[in-house]
Parts: sequence; C-alpha cells; structure tokens
Amino acid sequence: MARERKDEALARREFLQLLLGTSAGLLLNPAKAFLRTKGTKETGVKIIVLGFDGMDPVITRSLLEDGRLPAFKALASSGSFLPLGSSIPPQSPVAWANFITGTNPGGHAIFDFVHRNPENYLPVFSASESIPGRHNLKLGRLVLPLSGGEVRNLRKGRAFWQILEDYDLPATIFKIPSNYPPVKTKQKTLSGMGTPDLKGYYGLFNYYTNEYKSITEEYGGGGRVHDVYVIGNRVEARIPGPNNPFRAGNPETYVDFKVFIDPVNPVAKIVYQGQELILREKEWSGWKKIKFEFIPGQSVTGTCLFYLKEVRPKFKLYLSPINIDPENPALPISTPEKYARELAEKFGPFFTKGLPADTAALENDVLDEKEFLAQDELVYQESLAMLEYELSNFRSGLLFFYFSNTDQRQHMFFRLIDRNHPAYDEKLAKEFGQVISSTYQQMDRALQLAMDKADKNTVIIVMSDHGFNPFRRGFNLNTWLLENGYHFFEPGVKPEEVSLFQGTDWSRTKAYGVGLNALYLNLKGREKHGLVRPEEKEPLLREIAHKLEQLVDPKTGQKIILKAYLSQDVFRGPYLAEAPDIILGFNRNYRISWNSPLGSFPRELLEDNNQKWSGDHMSSPEVIPGILLANRKVKLTDPKLEDVTAGILSLFGIKIPPDITGRNIF
Amino acid sequence: MGKAKVKLEKDFYEKIKRIAEAAGYSSAEEFIIHVLEREVAKFEGADSEEEIKKRLKGLGYIS
Repeated sequence: MARERKDEALARREFLQLLLGTSAGLLLNPAKAFLRTKGTKETGVKIIVLGFDGMDPVITRSLLEDGRLPAFKALASSGSFLPLGSSIPPQSPVAWANFITGTNPGGHAIFDFVHRNPENYLPVFSASESIPGRHNLKLGRLVLPLSGGEVRNLRKGRAFWQILEDYDLPATIFKIPSNYPPVKTKQKTLSGMGTPDLKGYYGLFNYYTNEYKSITEEYGGGGRVHDVYVIGNRVEARIPGPNNPFRAGNPETYVDFKVFIDPVNPVAKIVYQGQELILREKEWSGWKKIKFEFIPGQSVTGTCLFYLKEVRPKFKLYLSPINIDPENPALPISTPEKYARELAEKFGPFFTKGLPADTAALENDVLDEKEFLAQDELVYQESLAMLEYELSNFRSGLLFFYFSNTDQRQHMFFRLIDRNHPAYDEKLAKEFGQVISSTYQQMDRALQLAMDKADKNTVIIVMSDHGFNPFRRGFNLNTWLLENGYHFFEPGVKPEEVSLFQGTDWSRTKAYGVGLNALYLNLKGREKHGLVRPEEKEPLLREIAHKLEQLVDPKTGQKIILKAYLSQDVFRGPYLAEAPDIILGFNRNYRISWNSPLGSFPRELLEDNNQKWSGDHMSSPEVIPGILLANRKVKLTDPKLEDVTAGILSLFGIKIPPDITGRNIF
Repeated sequence: MGKAKVKLEKDFYEKIKRIAEAAGYSSAEEFIIHVLEREVAKFEGADSEEEIKKRLKGLGYIS
C-alpha cells in the first residue's frame, strides 16, 4: 500500500512536470523543496499580523471616530494607530515585497507590476516567469514533454518567514502577495496575489449569451464572451481549458456542456462530464470541479462557479475563471504541498486565484455591482472562516493573514463616494455608496476574531500596503515624451495607432515609459539600441524629472506628478541596476492612463477616467500611506513597511540581518 | 479564418516532407506550421503584448 502511494505520488509529480505547457507556459518545478517540517519552537511572544490590502488611514480614522470600527478602536487605544509609509511606487507587489524582505525595491527587484526586457523593449510581467521544458518527444500529432520546465518567483531577497525558520520559529503565511510560486520554506504558506488561474491568466471568465454584444470574442484577457443559440430551450457550448502540452501546437482544451432551460420557470439545468446542476435565475452554483483531458490518462482539474444571470428574454450564463484545484494543484500554490490539500479537506474547494474578485466582469457589464459584490462576499466569508481555522491552530510563532476585499472593492466603488469622479452616478451611489465603509467594518469583524484569540503574550499588528485615492484623470506618459522630443517614430507612423512602441526610431529615442509608474532611458550599453551615453544619464534624468514635476493639468489647475523619483536616489541594494530610471509619484486623483503602460501613444496628454475601476494607488507614497495598528506602542513616528519586518524579528529577539534596511518599530 | 499560401522550392519541400514523416508528423504542412509557430513565439518572446495584456487585464490595471 505504502509502495503504491509512493508510486502514485511519483507519477503525479512527473505528470505535473509534463503539464508545464499550459497557455501561459506555466511550468512546475519538481517539488523537492518541501521535505522538512515547519518551525517547532515554542515562543514566549506570539505575533498575529492581519494584512488588509489598500486600507486607507483617512477612511479608517473617520469610521473609527464614528464608532463604526470598535475592534480597531480598542486596538488603537491599547497601543498605536499610525499611517504606514508605503513603497515607491505604492503598488501592491512592490509594497508587500518591501514587507516580506524588510527592504526596498533595490533589495528585492520588484519595481512595478510590469518590467521591460532591454533587449527588445517589450513589457514583461515582473513577479514570475515561466521557463518551458526543452525536450519533447513527437508521436504523430502528440508531443510528449520529456523535461519539465519551471515557474520562477522573481522576487529576490529572503522572506522574513525564512529567517524565522533559521531560528526554528513556526510561521503560517496566508495569501501574502508577491509570493507566487511560494518560496522554498518549511513553513506553512499559501500563495496569494500573482497566482494565476488554470489557464495561466489573472482571471479569465467565460460568458455565454445570445444577447448582442459588441465584444464577442476574447478581449484583453479579462474574459471571453461566447455567442450561443437557444434552440428548443437548449444551449450547447464549451468551456475553454488550459492548452494541451501533449499535442502539436498546444491547442486549447475544452469541455462541452449543455444547458436545458425550463420552458416555464426561470430555472436551468447545466450538464457536463456526467454532472448535473440546477440553478435558478440569479443563483450561484457553489464550487464545481471540471476536468480537462490532455490524452487518455492525463488530465488536470480546476474549480469554478457558475452564475445563471438570466434565463429569458435573453440567456446569460457567467462562469468564473477556472481556479487551480487546491485538492490536486496542477501548479505550486503552497508549502508544504499538502497545506493546500489540508485546507481543501477542511473547507472544500476555495479561491486559489491570486485576486479572486472579478473586477473585469464588473468593468465589462457582465456582472453588475450587486452580482460582483455577491461573488466577493463569498471571498470574504471564505477568508473569515479560514482565519478562524488558522487562529484555532495558532499556538506559537507568527500568523500572517491577508484580506483582498478592501483593495478590490475600493478599486471599483471609489466613483460612488467621489462626487467629482467622471464616473460618479447618483443613483448607484445611493445603492452602493456604503460599500467601502461596510467593507472596512467587515475587516473590523476579522480583527475582533484575532483579538478574541490573543492572550497577554500575543502581539497583534494590523497593516495595509497602501491607502487609496480617486483615479479621475489618466496621464499618457509616452505621449508626453513624444511631444517633448524624447521619443521619435520612423517616418509615416501614426503615433495614436501605435502599441508596444511599434515604429519607434530607437536611434533617436532617449526615453520611454513601460509599466504603471516607470520611465526608462534608452541607455547605451543597457538597451539594445541604447542612445544615451552614461555621462549624459544624470543630467538627462534630472531634466526630465524637473519637467514632469512642473506639469499642471489645464482642466483642474492641479499638479499631475508630485515627485519624479530618481531610482538612484531612493533605492539601494544589489538590484538597483535593474530599476527603472525614474518612478513617477502621481498627485492625488491622477494615475498613468489605461494605454500608456504598454507603449501606446494616445492623442491626448490627459484623459478623464470614465471606467468603474475608479480608485487607485499609483501616487507618490506620501499621498496614500497605509495603516499600522498594534497593541504595543510603536516608537517610530514615521514607520514604513520594511520597519514592520524589523519590528517582528526584534520581537522574537532576532538580530536584524544586514540586508534588511527596515528599523525596529517597537 | 483565411489561409495564405507560401511558395517553396520543390526539392526543399520534398526534403521537408521526408523529415516530417520521419519525425512523426502527419503532414509536411503540420511540420512547417509547428516550426514556424515555434520560431514566431521565440521572436515575440514569452511575454508578448497580448500575453501581458491578458495577464494584467485580470488584475484590472490596464485596458
């Protein structure tokens, strides 16, 4: 029996390696890292850290003073409540990486959601990369991968729970962002933001409808709309799955399904793979498993939610992104590998996609506000139940627990608390204007759970990675560079039609913008067609930074960029050379435009943001600090994310390693 | 989806056909498409614009 189980495990591992050619080329490293057990030492001090993404100090204080956050108030009264300095730039992957490593981007090499390849100027995703397997065996139409590739976490520096591990101190790290795939450790960790869905995207929903939509095919990765026909109260369609690594050309796999609509009642039966589920109109299905076959004997499972939005007059069926099945994960989402399974055994399938809220579905009117919130409420309830579970298991060391709801709902609902937002809607504001404050109150309930568990030796820390502000106007950085003689095109190119710098004359171009806050020089010796000589670098950077900081929006009279940071001035550490040259710190209400980050040049320098995605945090960090609360006195008057890390290590009596730049907060 | 034709020297095509057969492809066409797809992917890089867009759209920050 034991032998059988071992063989089964081996077969599973080999299979997972073979799987590595899914649509995003995701590859799995053999799971040899996770052999040890977690830290075991009993600690005098115990630490619970709650991470509420994007929780803003101004909103928090206002609700606290109104008596709507009693647990926050009690915690603040017993210790401290301060703004927490965020990262430059205050983007979640950067900010949480500051906390994870106790240092700045120069020490962990995450500078933005998007970096660029200096060899071809193309954007690359900053958090992880997939290395395909190199050897395949071709048998007719089949291609059998013989060597597995891997998916790599690109964050550098050691995570603080790895340092705790050095001292045999146990830690459980629940869904901290910037940790996919989870770094090698014996501690219990579950990956969060950055974890893809089964197709390798950050959320690809499917929407089946016979309603005319101008968008009827895949658009931008947020989702895919399928035209379907209702014939005789019956719909036939297919669910797209990961690409097939075993077939030439890696075609997309799919699962066929049928829907039988009740001719009288607003009810439908969905049938696939021998499963049947009956949904009423406006009903969510709960988690359903789905299996995608590659070749006989080789398959992968995912989990998803169906939502029957409308039966008639039009048929509308939403299918959530296919999440990696935690019971049988096709990609590495936890350490040890069995931790995800342990949670699945306790709770059943759960959200494994990094940011589970489907903001793209709301943005594209596939889900409305109420439906979006219904789904995100599932996320909250699931997180709350898992927090309770982890608190009940917590005996020693450190527990970090993360909530995404605050961030995701503020992104989508800021327009309804900001009367000056271009997308403000009075009617919707009446109905949904309380979403953000009630979400903060939900975090208060989570904090109360932790406080109920805490004894006199427990230090509770509540933190967020950044605050929030309205995103009213978007700035087209690349258009500005073009208008100011730093960027040039080949003759005949129409800039407003350009994407990804096509047609750029790199022999004349001095600077370009890629990512959400980053500007790069076209530097000789670094970029493929570098033009700017090293001795010209500094004066040019100062010139561009000065000009950017002078920019005023003619519509509002406000400055657009508060501070253009030179990375050489604000970062230090071994990865400084990989940093963008300038980081834009936007003023309140401003952000990079929707199209500039990937090398587009829209006609207008500034544009109103009319989208539902209406709150953001690309500002200068002093505009949007996060929050820090603790049941101990915080001695620093200006604490920053990396200082919290130093504080945690100090509480355990650990000497701060030299690569940590944070200061002890306590 | 429309199709386009590409002209190849006959001798070269015969060579491709033989190699495709030996390598287990069902046709020369399949072999050619596979090789071209691989080369195009190399040129575009693993993180093509479309790939970045698809990934980031799910996060919500670009359109």
